[in-house]
Amino acid sequence: MEAKIFDRETILDLVVNFIPLGIILFFIGAFAVFAPWGFEPMASGLMFAIMVVMFLALAVLTYLSAKAIAGDEKRATVYAQGQAGLEGAEPIHGHDDAADTSAATDAEVDDTESTSE
Amino acid sequence: MEETPGLSDQYRKASPWPLFIALGVPISELGLLFDIFPVAVGGLLLFCGCVVGMLQEAGYIRMPWSGLAVSAGLLFLAGGGVLYINPQVGVDMTLRAYAILASGLILAMGAGAGRLFVPKSQFPA
Amino acid sequence: MDISAQISLTVLMGVFLVAVATWLTRVENWRSYSPVGGGAIVDRSGYVEEEKPAGIIRWLTTVDHKDIGILYGLYGITAFVVGGLMVTAMRIDLVTSESLLGTATYNGLLTSHGITMLFLFGTPIIAAFANYLIPLIIGADDMAFPRINAIAFWLLPPAALLIWAGFFAKPLGLFGPAQTAWTMYTPLSTGAAGGSADMVGGAGVDMMLLGLHLSGVATTIGAINFIATIFTQRGEKVTWANLDIFSWTVLTQSGLILFAFPLLGSALVMLLADRNFGTTFFLSDGGNMLWQHLFWFFGHPEVYVLVLPMMGIVSYVLPRFAGRQLFGFKFVVYSTLAIGVLSFGVWAHHMFATGMDPRLRTSFMAVSMAIAIPSAVKTFNWITTLWNGRIRLTTPMLFCIGFVSNFIIGGVTGVFLASIPVDLVLHDTYYVVGHFHYVVMGAIAFAGFAGIYYWFPLVTGRMYQASLGKAHFWLTMIGTNITFFAMILLGYGGMPRRYATYLPQFASLHQLATLGALIIFVGQLIWFWNMVSSWFEGKRVESADPWNLADDGVNTIEWQWFGTKLDTQLATDGGEADEVATDGGQVDADDASADADADPETNTE
Ligand code: HEM
Ligand SMILES: [Cu+2]
Repeated sequence: MEAKIFDRETILDLVVNFIPLGIILFFIGAFAVFAPWGFEPMASGLMFAIMVVMFLALAVLTYLSAKAIAGDEKRATVYAQGQAGLEGAEPIHGHDDAADTSAATDAEVDDTESTSE
Repeated sequence: MEETPGLSDQYRKASPWPLFIALGVPISELGLLFDIFPVAVGGLLLFCGCVVGMLQEAGYIRMPWSGLAVSAGLLFLAGGGVLYINPQVGVDMTLRAYAILASGLILAMGAGAGRLFVPKSQFPA
Repeated sequence: MDISAQISLTVLMGVFLVAVATWLTRVENWRSYSPVGGGAIVDRSGYVEEEKPAGIIRWLTTVDHKDIGILYGLYGITAFVVGGLMVTAMRIDLVTSESLLGTATYNGLLTSHGITMLFLFGTPIIAAFANYLIPLIIGADDMAFPRINAIAFWLLPPAALLIWAGFFAKPLGLFGPAQTAWTMYTPLSTGAAGGSADMVGGAGVDMMLLGLHLSGVATTIGAINFIATIFTQRGEKVTWANLDIFSWTVLTQSGLILFAFPLLGSALVMLLADRNFGTTFFLSDGGNMLWQHLFWFFGHPEVYVLVLPMMGIVSYVLPRFAGRQLFGFKFVVYSTLAIGVLSFGVWAHHMFATGMDPRLRTSFMAVSMAIAIPSAVKTFNWITTLWNGRIRLTTPMLFCIGFVSNFIIGGVTGVFLASIPVDLVLHDTYYVVGHFHYVVMGAIAFAGFAGIYYWFPLVTGRMYQASLGKAHFWLTMIGTNITFFAMILLGYGGMPRRYATYLPQFASLHQLATLGALIIFVGQLIWFWNMVSSWFEGKRVESADPWNLADDGVNTIEWQWFGTKLDTQLATDGGEADEVATDGGQVDADDASADADADPETNTE
């Protein structure tokens, strides 16, 4: 189940949140190595706590929401935003059939587009 | 008269209570903050009475009396709480506590009177 | 208080309560609860006018999400007008280096302008869109708790009166408006209990704190309602995977409100207690830092409370006029959630200059850098959606593009402020004022305008005047950039914020900012005239798809509802019924080709 939900496409969508996670991780590492004001349990502890708590909270929320979204994607038909329940709306299948007719996009762009929509 | 339906069963998208609930909050807050006894009591009565009215309208309770009694109980608790912390702060809050207790008392009396004197058949089963 | 005043107040209160009770018994008629309630109960589906009483009573008693949305909208716009007039007076005051109005009045206007715009315009105007649209878009009958919804709205008018109380009381010789600035920093705001012996407004401050508290309560119960609605009332087909972006942003916003506003409420009550009940929360050692931590733990999420739903509106409206779906829809969803979480870990970037521990400071810088990414991601998604799209520069689209442009400047200046060394130079200068006004005026208000123009036909059934809309956009866009860019330059020059007077070397930039503000002012006059006249006399919309979205396959469900509404109205009016596409959302082929060549707006001129 898990493995099926977190397939390549979902992971690609989540990259957007891996970046801030990475930035926080970078600063945690940087401040662990460089400590120009020295180490003091209270102040340094709070400093790391803020970053670690934010890292964990973002990771957990990303995981939960990805499970909800990607899970529903697999379970039910996916429509473009605001089109679920609309008469005559074309579902999105997650393949190269986006309603984009005017754009002369190359194959690569088409690919990323359909995965992220 | 008996045949005309009230607002909230005639129109399913209307209710007269929210407006007055919302008015009750600032009136009671102003009364309590600036220590104006009648305003505090009036605001609390308005607020509690209308909350109970809305609960009844929404069908959570059949008759208002128990709701009034519960809100009176909550007011007694709050008033007692203010009396309890009164000696620990730098300003005399006795009158504010009495305002809360007084509104509780009025509501309790209303609940009692309603239960005793208003026939049950006035309310739908 | 002397005894006769007490007695007359008691009598007054009694009369008031009796009047309320009488009125309630008359409209509610307690004895009539019979299940046979009346022939007035109509078919539960479809659009029926008979659901509500008529006239003013309808508006006072409504629990319909659409009516409440309209009430929120009118309320927000009223506040926008008040706050706008206040700031126009302030900018005129700043034409000369001496204060024309006097510093006390200036400070009062400054405080009320900020609070009015954030709490009485920003949050309610978002609630207006959310109330009206979200149940329609997610296929819910109404909000989860319709009566609570009405309570949340009706708390707001008293809140506004309390917040502005000082301005009404001053002419009566009672007390003046609060002069604490919107941040209400202690010890300035502790009044007589603290060091400031109430130079800042006396009872006016208490009133304002109460009003703020009230608006906080209203916002919180509104947020609970939205969370419940989006979680439990979605239509069958509306899964998490195709929940629209506006609902996602409102859901995230409601989450932020749920964690941030109760904290503000508690802090306000603590401050009120310090002022009136003899407590010492903020008077003891560290009390001032405590206030700032509490305030900004609320205050930073608050800015995202305002901007997230507006980003949602842009993400929803902009693709309609680019002729394609939003690029990277799920990127936008996940980055919205990321902003939601991270906004709770950056609050002390408002306190870099307070002398807090430098180690602690760096962690807030780190998280502030991280939160810039999801904001930037959204910007890239909007730009990519425009890329190669079939762009139609209607008024709502212009405001969306203006939003993106201004948000870039606002966001980039924010990232600079989030860097500690830069902030220590620029803190408390006009640079900060420029930064956040690029976001709150340039982005948040712009998105609000985009939404108002876009859904104007949906709500009123009429079209606004397009040429006036364009004039409004250009005046607002140019005025905004003149005013707030001048402020950024003033900040580089070292002009401190929140002063009614200034040194002569700042005069020309201040005058430039005032010029920009006056341009904005003229633009808003045009807008206001356009809205009012079009509401009553605008050209009636006859198509269920006034924007011709179906041509590009980007039509959305709320217009389908609008089509049904049009049909029922026409059916009951008699006449013309067969000219309208009966299936609502989709326009018939011949119908579409008739409208397709011209922009929908230009049809209406
Ligand atoms: C997205 C919408 C944003 C809004 C509505 C907003 C709003 C504001 C407001 C109202 C203030 C001034 C508060 C005051 O002192 O009265 C402010 C200051 C500040 N903002 Fe933003 N901001 C936004 C985005 C950002 C971003 C993306 C960053 C950086 C990552 C940022 C960083 C800062 C910093 C560091 C300050 C404090 C500057 C100082 O006082 O020295 N802001 N912002
Ligand atoms: Cu901030």
